[in-house]
Amino acid sequence: MNRDLVTIKGGNDGFRILVDSSATMEEIEAEIKKKLETNPGFFPKGTKFELEVADLDRSVKKGIDELLQEHGFGINKSTKKDKRAFPADNAASSKNVQPEANPVQEMMVLNRTIRGGEEISSQSSILICGNVNPGAQVIAGGSIDIRGTCRGMVHAGAWGDANAVIIADRLMPTQIRIANMIARSPDTMEKSDFAERAFIRDGQIVIEPIER
Amino acid sequence: MSEVIVITSGKGGVGKSTTTANLGVGLAMRGKKVVLIDTDTGLRNLDLLLGLENRIMYDLVDVIEGRVEIKKALVRHKKYENLQLLPTSQVKDKSAVNPADLMALCDELRKEYDYVLIDCPAGIEQGFQTAIAGADTAIVVTMPEVSAVRDADKIIGELGRSEKDNIKLIINRIRPAMVDSGEMMDMDDINDILAIKCIGQVPDDIKVVTSANRGEPVVGDSDSQAGRAYANIVGRIMGEDIPFMKFEKQGFFDKLKKAFGM
Repeated sequence: MNRDLVTIKGGNDGFRILVDSSATMEEIEAEIKKKLETNPGFFPKGTKFELEVADLDRSVKKGIDELLQEHGFGINKSTKKDKRAFPADNAASSKNVQPEANPVQEMMVLNRTIRGGEEISSQSSILICGNVNPGAQVIAGGSIDIRGTCRGMVHAGAWGDANAVIIADRLMPTQIRIANMIARSPDTMEKSDFAERAFIRDGQIVIEPIER
Repeated sequence: MSEVIVITSGKGGVGKSTTTANLGVGLAMRGKKVVLIDTDTGLRNLDLLLGLENRIMYDLVDVIEGRVEIKKALVRHKKYENLQLLPTSQVKDKSAVNPADLMALCDELRKEYDYVLIDCPAGIEQGFQTAIAGADTAIVVTMPEVSAVRDADKIIGELGRSEKDNIKLIINRIRPAMVDSGEMMDMDDINDILAIKCIGQVPDDIKVVTSANRGEPVVGDSDSQAGRAYANIVGRIMGEDIPFMKFEKQGFFDKLKKAFGM
C-alpha cells in the first residue's frame, strides 16, 4: 500500500493532519513543508490544525507543532484514537457497516484456556472465555472476542474481512493480524488494565480502550 | 487407595528428577509404601540422586521384556525400606518401552504400593507419551522463567489431549530476592498463565545440589528452605491443607552462617 506519509484533510471543523506513525521526523517535516509551500495562501494565517496520529513520539508531535508555528499555524489538539472528534468519519464508517449487518452470524465458543502450541481456526467469529496463552494461535474468518488475557497470536478476518475486530480484556498479544495487516507488540509489553479493541482504520491496525 | 503420579515438565533441567526423588523420600518418611519409576531410558539419573547406582541389578527394560520379575528389578532405598526404585536402562533408548507396557506395569505396582511416582523424560515425544500413559495425576514442574513456563503450558495442553485432567503445578528454583526486585516472574504471573492448581513453591537452594551429589534428597533437612518446601508438598499430596511458606530473603545464608558461627 503506497500511502502518503502525511495527509491533510478538510473537515467540518477545520483541517486535520494525518501522520503515518512509521515515518521518521525528517520525512514528516519534509512532507509537511512540501504540502504547505506548494499552496501558499491556501491555508489562511492562524489556521489551527488537528493532528491525528496513531502513536507518535512526543518529540515528533512537538516537532510538527514547531514546524506549523513557523508557518504561522497552530495545532488545535492532537487526537489519539478518538473517533468521536470526527463526525464526518463516523458518518462514513456507519454507512460502510450497514450493508454488512448479516442476520445469520455464526460464532465458535470455547470455554477454556488456549495453551501454547494450540491452533484454533474457524470460518466464523470466535468467542473465548479464558486466556489465550503465548504460543497459541487463534484464526477467525470473523472477529475474535477474548474474555481473558490474550498473549498469543490472533488473526481476525483471516479470509480478507477488514471490518473484523479483536477484543480482549487484556490485549497483550505477540502479534495482531486483521485481514492482510500485521501488527506486532512493542518489545516491552505493558499490562493494560482495561479491555481493548483492535481494528483497521486508515489502513493501519489501531487499538483503543473500550468499556464492557 | 493408591495413586500413580507422573512428574513432568517439557523443558529439561527444571528439576523433574530432583522433585521425584524428594517427593518419593518424603512420602516414604511419612510411612507410605512408594515406588519410583525412572522412564528416562538412556539418560537415567534418578538412581544417582538417591545414591543407589551401585545396587542396580536389572532395569525397566528387563522387566518390560519379561527377563525378570518386577520384584527382582526393584532397588530398595538404603534408609527407607518402604521406598523402592525401578531404574531404567542406560544402554537402550526410549523405543524400548511403549505406553501399553508401562500402563500394565503401573497397574501391577498399584496393587502393592500407596504411591507410584514416574519420572518423565524431557520433551513431548514418545518418552513423554509412555511416561504419562498409566498416570492418574500429573505434576508439572516449572521454573519462573519464560521458556520453562511456555513449555509447561504446552505440556499441560498435551496432558489435556491425553485426557489427563488431574494436573498440579510445582514452581521450582524460585529466587525470592529476584522476584521481589521484579527480575523474575512472580508466582501470580505464572498461575495466571498456567491456570492449574499449584501445590508447591520451592526456592532455589544450594543444598539441593550438595545433597544430590551425596545421593540424599534434601527433603529430610529442616535447615533447608527447599527441604521444608518439599516436605510441605508431600503433605499436600497426602491431602493436607498447608499454606505456602514465606521465603526468607536474600540474607538467609548469611543468617545461617551466623547461626553456625561461621
